[in-house]
Amino acid sequence: MYKISFPHMGKYHVPIKRLMETLVGEYGEVFAAPPITKRTIEVGTKHSPEFVCIPFKYNLGNFIESLDLGANVLFHTSGDCRMGFYNEVQEQILRDLGYEFKLCILETNARNRSLRDFHAMFKNLNPRLTYAKTISAILLAMRIIFAMDKIEKYVRENIGFESQAGELEKIENEFLRNVAKVKNFLGVGAVYRKYIKRLRAVKLSKPEKPIKVGVVGELYVLMEPFSNYFIEKELAKYGIQVTRFIDVSYLLFSPKHKIKNLLKESDGYVSYEIGADGTDSVAKCVYFAKNGYDGIIHLKPFGCTPEVNSIPIVQRVSEDYEIPVLYFSFDSQTSETGVKTRLEAFYDMLEMKRGTQ
Amino acid sequence: MKAYIGIDIGSISTKGVIIDGDANILAESYLWTEGDPIGAVKRVLKELEQKKPAGVQVKAVGTTGSARKLIGVVLGAQIVKNEITAHAVGTMSRVPDVRTILEIGGQDSKIILLKDGIVTDYAMNTICAAGTGSFLMSQAKRLGLAIEELGELALKSQSPTRIAARCTVFAESDLVHKAQIGHKKEDIVAGICNAVVNNYLNNVGKGKRVLAPAVFQGGVSKNVGVVRAFEQILGHKVYVDEFGHLMGCLGVAVLAKKSGKEADFDFGVQDISFVTRGRECERCPNNCEIISVYRGEELLDSWGNKCER
Amino acid sequence: MGKWRRNTVGGMKIGIPKAFLYYKYQKMWCSFFEELGHEVVVSPNTNKNILDMGINCSIDESCTSAKVYMGHVEWLIGKCDRIFVPRVVTFENGDATCTKFYGIYDIVRATFPSAKLLHYSIDYDEGQTEWKAYKKLGAELGAKAAAVKTAYKNATLALSQFEKDLAEQQENALKADGLKVLIVAHPYNIYDKLMGEPIVRALKELGVGVLYADIPDSMQMCNRSKNLARTMYWQYNKELAGAVDYYQDKVDGIIFMTTFPCGPDSLAIELIVRKVKDMPMLNLIIDSNFGEAGLQTRIESFVDILSAKEKHHV
Repeated sequence: MYKISFPHMGKYHVPIKRLMETLVGEYGEVFAAPPITKRTIEVGTKHSPEFVCIPFKYNLGNFIESLDLGANVLFHTSGDCRMGFYNEVQEQILRDLGYEFKLCILETNARNRSLRDFHAMFKNLNPRLTYAKTISAILLAMRIIFAMDKIEKYVRENIGFESQAGELEKIENEFLRNVAKVKNFLGVGAVYRKYIKRLRAVKLSKPEKPIKVGVVGELYVLMEPFSNYFIEKELAKYGIQVTRFIDVSYLLFSPKHKIKNLLKESDGYVSYEIGADGTDSVAKCVYFAKNGYDGIIHLKPFGCTPEVNSIPIVQRVSEDYEIPVLYFSFDSQTSETGVKTRLEAFYDMLEMKRGTQ
Repeated sequence: MKAYIGIDIGSISTKGVIIDGDANILAESYLWTEGDPIGAVKRVLKELEQKKPAGVQVKAVGTTGSARKLIGVVLGAQIVKNEITAHAVGTMSRVPDVRTILEIGGQDSKIILLKDGIVTDYAMNTICAAGTGSFLMSQAKRLGLAIEELGELALKSQSPTRIAARCTVFAESDLVHKAQIGHKKEDIVAGICNAVVNNYLNNVGKGKRVLAPAVFQGGVSKNVGVVRAFEQILGHKVYVDEFGHLMGCLGVAVLAKKSGKEADFDFGVQDISFVTRGRECERCPNNCEIISVYRGEELLDSWGNKCER
Repeated sequence: MGKWRRNTVGGMKIGIPKAFLYYKYQKMWCSFFEELGHEVVVSPNTNKNILDMGINCSIDESCTSAKVYMGHVEWLIGKCDRIFVPRVVTFENGDATCTKFYGIYDIVRATFPSAKLLHYSIDYDEGQTEWKAYKKLGAELGAKAAAVKTAYKNATLALSQFEKDLAEQQENALKADGLKVLIVAHPYNIYDKLMGEPIVRALKELGVGVLYADIPDSMQMCNRSKNLARTMYWQYNKELAGAVDYYQDKVDGIIFMTTFPCGPDSLAIELIVRKVKDMPMLNLIIDSNFGEAGLQTRIESFVDILSAKEKHHV
């Protein structure tokens, strides 16, 4: 019997678990790694190379906590930067720690993605798996991801303006619980419509022109709130409307994420791809600057090469458009108080600027 | 006369002022926090009460600094503000056209850029203590000098020694090495001052244009050697205000006035016993640190839980 | 970046920063530019001054090697007509470089907006082969197509001759008696006067034979690297990993040298250290504020260990 587990990133364990359960059938039990806590990052840091970027340490912590619960098959994704080489090193570290398991990689890079490989990987676990089933499971997972990203986007943009704090999130969590249980493709649409309607019915007190902030940076620290000290929730407390483009739907399926379009959007600030999501950061900063946003927040793991590449260019955009940018670098030593103080001062600054206009 | 109190409670020192409606300082106090913010604030209040001119009625209180929230609860403050905003507002009340605030404290350093009375950009030190007061202190000790002597000695230097000082540990070995091969003490000291400024500009001030007028604050601003190093490296004058150390509390006093909320402040708060209890929540491995503040037995406020429950 | 007029043919001074890929492709670049009638100005060896300039104009979290590169670029400003800032990102076999090389051209552009640059981009994934890149570069320099083709051919030959000579030297060094250490480091780190040379000097002064992991044939080493790292895709790190596999039974010890906080090395070294058994290894991480004294101590004690081991075996 396979006990299958995988690391966390935001709330995506919902569609991933569903996808794997469908594919593995009666041959395995699927569970997400235990929720990330301080212990996860402590354990992950302890066994990681010192200068590796923080997502590696979270992933490793997740794996160890899953293995300790008896997992014997681990899933991970690939990546466009150092992340693409995480797997082999993590596998070696875990083996050296004495764990026994099978590691499977979900290829995310559009260039290398292949349905055949994907199917073969699961067929290996579930001999009865058919192509038709694989395809329908993928389509269902995609549909859930699209729906949850749309729901989360609505929540993100409006959570700062709830009349009664916590209402939107409560509905979102209920949505996630229910969408995990749908029978098929059509079910997702029905659940989505039901909950988006409920979300829209929540009373908001939104000023006509709220302070708007765009968030850019490296994908993991953008999408895993634990790793960014719940920065979006913190911004919401100040009544700031937050826009972020990067989510899984965008990264995997949006044509806007294609390098050609990003270079166009970046308006000459970059002439080539500068690595992983660095190009995206520059392009979106230009977008936010041109579209009347009040400020930009740039997030990255400490030492993230593609995002470090983007900073001198983002600084140029910031200067040319006079749009303030707040930079955060996360590692296991980051002080939470420091993050909060900086955010508070950033809000004060944006508010003071507004006041004089 | 209406007056306002601002208190800045840092990890090392606690500062307080009483100001009038035009931000003139009527009374001030500056002492060590000694790990006991509530005690320090009581002592600051006592001193302020003694120095306060007759006929002054305090109408609002503001708090800033790392213990701002706790003290805000204890004093029932009208406003609680982070130290970046407070410093900017305080400095602008003294130098209205200021463009850059350079600040180097014991462990923290920051830079604030302003334009037309508005903060346009800022940054705080992110990496380590190199380039802060504690770095200066440890290097002085290593050379057998009192921290007060450092500045005057640096001014005597004709050719400052070049010191690799990005990190305290590396700097120390480099320093020992330079002393061993016979560099003059004043040149080494001037080299340390330059290193502090270069570290600061490289870490905190990276990518920020330091425009004049620039004001230099924080404990390290008392060191004339570092002031000179700043002026030489930046190529323009750097102002040091005699009240530089009070800018945080001054700023938050101004903000307390601006809050528009008023209530007569009672100095009797010094005699009430407040207790803070910090405990680690053990319901999950996050171990959130929950802080509760009590007046006598009455729970005033508690915060720190990060989990959803 | 503004394009200069086409009629400024020949006689241009082209500045090359003595950092990063200079150490791999110097012979090819110099040969190409010189054959097309241009003068090449190479920035001097890295010194504290160049490093300082680099630190001052770089983001704090950039790797030290990138800071050094930026220092060389700044040094060249005003001393030549164009500064050559090449971009090399993917190769014929699907391998890639560190993302620093993806971004360096645009970083230089953003950092020095008024500097006049010259560049090419080699990116096989996007159909930009090496020949296409040189063809474009030659055209940009105003040279005739035939001349560019010959210059490219000769440049390729110059590079392969240079590489062959180095490989031969290394084979000879391998035959010598005495302790031998393999240095596993990117050429732009180990051959740098300020960062790498003190390490080599210290070893040689102790009478240790030095071998370099970047010297053996690239394709062979990339193939060998699979023995240590199956899924690695950074070509420059594969070359080094392959060399570790190739030399591991021919040397007494391995020294890894990397600059803080190099992304690919942070993982590649970890994996190699975990996979290579029974081999004394030393990992030197160079920061922008390295002191030579500490380095000396660590190398000396490492060599002491190697000598003790050797005696023990005899």
